[in-house]
Amino acid sequence: MHLEVRRLSKSYGFTWALKEIDLELRSGDCVALLGPNGAGKTTLLKALCGLLRPTMGEICADGTRLRHGPARLQPAIGLLSPGDHLYDKLTAEENLRLFLALYNRQENRGEIGNALAAAGLSDWSGEYVAAFSSGMKCRLSIAKWLLLEPKLLLVDEPYGVLDGSGVDLLETHLKNVCRSGGIVVTATHHVTRAVALCSRAIVLRRGKVVFDEPKRTPWDSIHRVVGEFMPRGEAWTS
Amino acid sequence: MDFLRQTAWLVWKDLLLELRRRESLLAMFFFGVLLLFIFQFALDLQPERAAEMAPGLVWLALVFCGTLGLMQLFQPERENHCLDALLLSPIDRAAIFLSKVFFNLILMVLLEIVVLPLFWVLFNVGAWDRLPSVFLYGLLGTVGFCVVGTLFSALTLSARGREILLPLLLLPLLIPVVLATIRGMEIMLRAGDFSESLPWMHLLIGFDVIFATAGILVFEWVVES
Repeated sequence: MHLEVRRLSKSYGFTWALKEIDLELRSGDCVALLGPNGAGKTTLLKALCGLLRPTMGEICADGTRLRHGPARLQPAIGLLSPGDHLYDKLTAEENLRLFLALYNRQENRGEIGNALAAAGLSDWSGEYVAAFSSGMKCRLSIAKWLLLEPKLLLVDEPYGVLDGSGVDLLETHLKNVCRSGGIVVTATHHVTRAVALCSRAIVLRRGKVVFDEPKRTPWDSIHRVVGEFMPRGEAWTS
Repeated sequence: MDFLRQTAWLVWKDLLLELRRRESLLAMFFFGVLLLFIFQFALDLQPERAAEMAPGLVWLALVFCGTLGLMQLFQPERENHCLDALLLSPIDRAAIFLSKVFFNLILMVLLEIVVLPLFWVLFNVGAWDRLPSVFLYGLLGTVGFCVVGTLFSALTLSARGREILLPLLLLPLLIPVVLATIRGMEIMLRAGDFSESLPWMHLLIGFDVIFATAGILVFEWVVES
């Protein structure tokens, strides 16, 4: 998959959340999207997956302009937003079964069981999602995207709710997506983890890209930029 | 086939959630029965005038109950941003619209199955043999109500004060449906003659088809903007 973002802008009323963003994402890219609160990280993720209509600019996937909500391209795009996108009064298994059907995937009970087991939720497959903690909901979201195998996986601040094994599960999954030729974009404030995981970092500030660089060793520039633009308390949480 | 399969899955999801949440149907049912009893106490309806008044009163109750159900129609999608999850999935937006229309229709038909006979008994309407044809008009009117109601329920999804806004927008648009249904029901109840009520049936079918088509076409724009 090859994703091109050209002069992407998004305004909410008179406030510009994104200003003329230019990006190119290629197969295998694992991108950390960093920036302080209000930098436009979540807005960019929502625009990339077609949930938000850009005010200006365009997004092209494999040379095709990504119109707002194109059903044809969407099996390839996933948004992992912890705690979101799950029906509370459906069980974990029913949620996965529903989304498999909506994504035109053949229902396979064994496959669902394996995904739940991988997410550490085997014992909870018959429980309503309403009874889940935030971390368990995040694990179920990971299980969902394990099953649906998107080519572009967008992750919105996943570290806040996961325990140690949950973080391992998530990072293993993200690495596997990239290894299989997919693209991962992770918006987070946990710079240390993001820098360790990703192959490229993009820093946003007030809707503009102020830093975009592939990973280096040593990577002094990212620490300098993050130190400059992000409050220290957020930037170095690990 | 995929379209129908996905629509069926979404209807199954809504029915399962309603079965577990019991938010819409119970409220609609109790409100409907309550309204009938209020009408019974408030109006001293003579049996000879019952046939004349019955369609209007029944439909008033059904529209109020239905509006109550429409308020809750997208509630599961409002929680946990599940509407985003649906929009993110590769399903035709028309499948989401039609699934909600079908789900709403199922609730309304269940309600009518209870409310109509109850009204007949309470107001001593008689003419039980004409109840199926009256029900047919009720069904055509219900389809129109569900189609327009679903569209406006989605339109006011993120609006502030949607509980006020929804009936204000919806009820004026429903005037042709309410009028045609009531007139059709009344003719069937009075004369039992389909040919006399045919113009109202045509109006109802036309309304249903036009708004169902419009809903399918504009729903994508409504939910995504």
